[in-house]
Amino acid sequence: MTSPDVSNGMKIYQYDKSAALFRRAAKVIPCGIYGHFSPTPCVPVSAYPFFSERTEGAKFWDVDGNEFVDYMCAYGPMVLGYHHPVVDEAYQAQMKRADSNSVASPKMVELAEFMVDMIPVADWAFFAKNGADVTNYAAMIARAVTGRNKIIAIAGGYHGTTPWMQAAGHHGTIDDDLTHIRRIPWNDFAALERVVAEHPNDVAGFIASPYHHPIFVDNEMPAEGYWQKVQQFLKKNGIVFIIDDVRCGFRLHMGGSNELFGFKPDLICFCKAIANGYPISALVGTESLKNVAAKVFHTGSFWYSAGPMAAALACLQELKRIDGPKIMADQGKKLLAGMVEISKAHGYHLQVSGAPSMPYLRITDDASLMLHQQWCAECTRRGAYLTSHHNWFVSTAHTDEDIQRTLEIADDAFKAVKQAR
Amino acid sequence: MNESLIKAYLNLHAVFQNLEDLVKFDEPMAQLIRDWDLTVEFVVRNGPSAFVEFKNGVCRHGATAHDNPTVRLYFTSAGHLNRMFDGKATPIPLKGFLRLGFLKREFAQLTDRLTYYLRPELGKPDDESYVKLNTILTLQTAIYAVKVLGMLEPTSKKIAAHIPAGALQVEVLPAGPCLHLVFDKGGISVAKGPAKQPMAKMAFKNLQVANALLTGKLDGFLAVANGDVVLQGQLPMVDNLNLILDRVPRYLV
Repeated sequence: MTSPDVSNGMKIYQYDKSAALFRRAAKVIPCGIYGHFSPTPCVPVSAYPFFSERTEGAKFWDVDGNEFVDYMCAYGPMVLGYHHPVVDEAYQAQMKRADSNSVASPKMVELAEFMVDMIPVADWAFFAKNGADVTNYAAMIARAVTGRNKIIAIAGGYHGTTPWMQAAGHHGTIDDDLTHIRRIPWNDFAALERVVAEHPNDVAGFIASPYHHPIFVDNEMPAEGYWQKVQQFLKKNGIVFIIDDVRCGFRLHMGGSNELFGFKPDLICFCKAIANGYPISALVGTESLKNVAAKVFHTGSFWYSAGPMAAALACLQELKRIDGPKIMADQGKKLLAGMVEISKAHGYHLQVSGAPSMPYLRITDDASLMLHQQWCAECTRRGAYLTSHHNWFVSTAHTDEDIQRTLEIADDAFKAVKQAR
Repeated sequence: MNESLIKAYLNLHAVFQNLEDLVKFDEPMAQLIRDWDLTVEFVVRNGPSAFVEFKNGVCRHGATAHDNPTVRLYFTSAGHLNRMFDGKATPIPLKGFLRLGFLKREFAQLTDRLTYYLRPELGKPDDESYVKLNTILTLQTAIYAVKVLGMLEPTSKKIAAHIPAGALQVEVLPAGPCLHLVFDKGGISVAKGPAKQPMAKMAFKNLQVANALLTGKLDGFLAVANGDVVLQGQLPMVDNLNLILDRVPRYLV
């Protein structure tokens, strides 16, 4: 006799405490849980936990005590595994000495020196807290150095939630926020040429992620030669080339993801994986932009906190030492090969796009995504935390055992999906 | 397109289509129109047209001109039509002069009843049957308004341009209403009933939840998290739908 909360020996998770906590949250917090942690895109929401209790390695435990192999990795920041001893010790040691205080920390200099040494494009580094802090700063630098207005971005590209980065009609934005923003399709070099021609001497910067990783649709790699043509064209037209490496940074290449694709931007924005979860972001740039960067006033209350800087230094050193991007790519490939095979065995086609260390998956048998949502939900209810709308993340802490367990879950989830249909 | 013209389209194409359901669900109105056999057409100079046809106890709304209406009412401007909807102006009859008395009495009774159901401050928000019809008609108005705004209003057009192609179904469980919008390369169509192959679905748990959301008493994000509203499929369709829906009160109170 099988209990309704067990499937082939696998426990089907319930989230009573999460739901209760959410009801409390809803009374005092807009949306209950806001932003990209909002349960809204999790379909159905009843399959997902809302609150975590603790984390370790590649796993987290929710407030109901359910254990998950985590393929969202805090949406990117977790890269070496939760509570990585090297990073945590560096952070704690720094916190014992000093964190936020009235003057800057030597750790800021050490971290900048390390990044300048490691990242070929970088002649300087600047630190903030979140990705949008540095994408904003990059746009300001581009405008300051060129004296121009327009920023070109990719349609569907995400660079934060500042009004100029949002799509038209979003709450809290006005049409004028987008007056100087032009969006072009990904991989469309002709569109870039056209927009620049339409605005002679008025395009300050071009911002894009190293490959196209929007949500809800397949991710796309750069076409052969695309970035090289873009780099040459932007240079010829005096347009600042900004790479938003917030999501990919240090998951694909320690020198910046552009190194993997063989091109050199003027500015690179980093965040997420830079400090294994400690709050810090960075903008690095070329020597030619350093003086202008100095003139653009941009700051924040916690941008000098030394603890996260120590964590970032330790994280980057450790990722470099172990060749973190290779480990993540290898583990990602194992996971994806297994999942594709299992889906085939069940008669489904699982489309994989993006980098193996941060893949986007989609069951193509149903264009509405409802089937894919159902499968991701069944996986999550069995202990593999993955969303259906966003790329997943693989860390260096995902072990072969974690992957094997995930594949067993994926198999049982496909069985459940088939049964329900 | 100016605000007044958009409002005129909304009044004729989003609000007036509710007459179809008003006479279906409200018994006094069903009785009122039972023996009507006529078509009333509304024509706005340099603006929208629409008609409502009554026959065999059924009302049919059309978002176009009519070939041979019984009554043709003309409005010199979008503002003229909008003032009529606010009860502050009268139309210019171009056809059906013998029916003017009918328009002032019976037809006005019908439109007054529609106003009653669409404006809770005039109705009985504690009465279950009132709330039911108020919810049905308000939801239909909102979804039909999405088509109007998505095709005509500059900001909504930009939002609609981001909506993936396909059908988006909106329904109230367990017994309806159910409507769907179809987005296709800038074109938008709307219809009552379920979609054949919806790319996305937004389902309200019941009429009470739908009413609370439509009247702004319930936070949509919370409703989703609590399971009171269930979303499925291509959620960018739903996200963008909601952005347009939130613009409807700029034009319709």
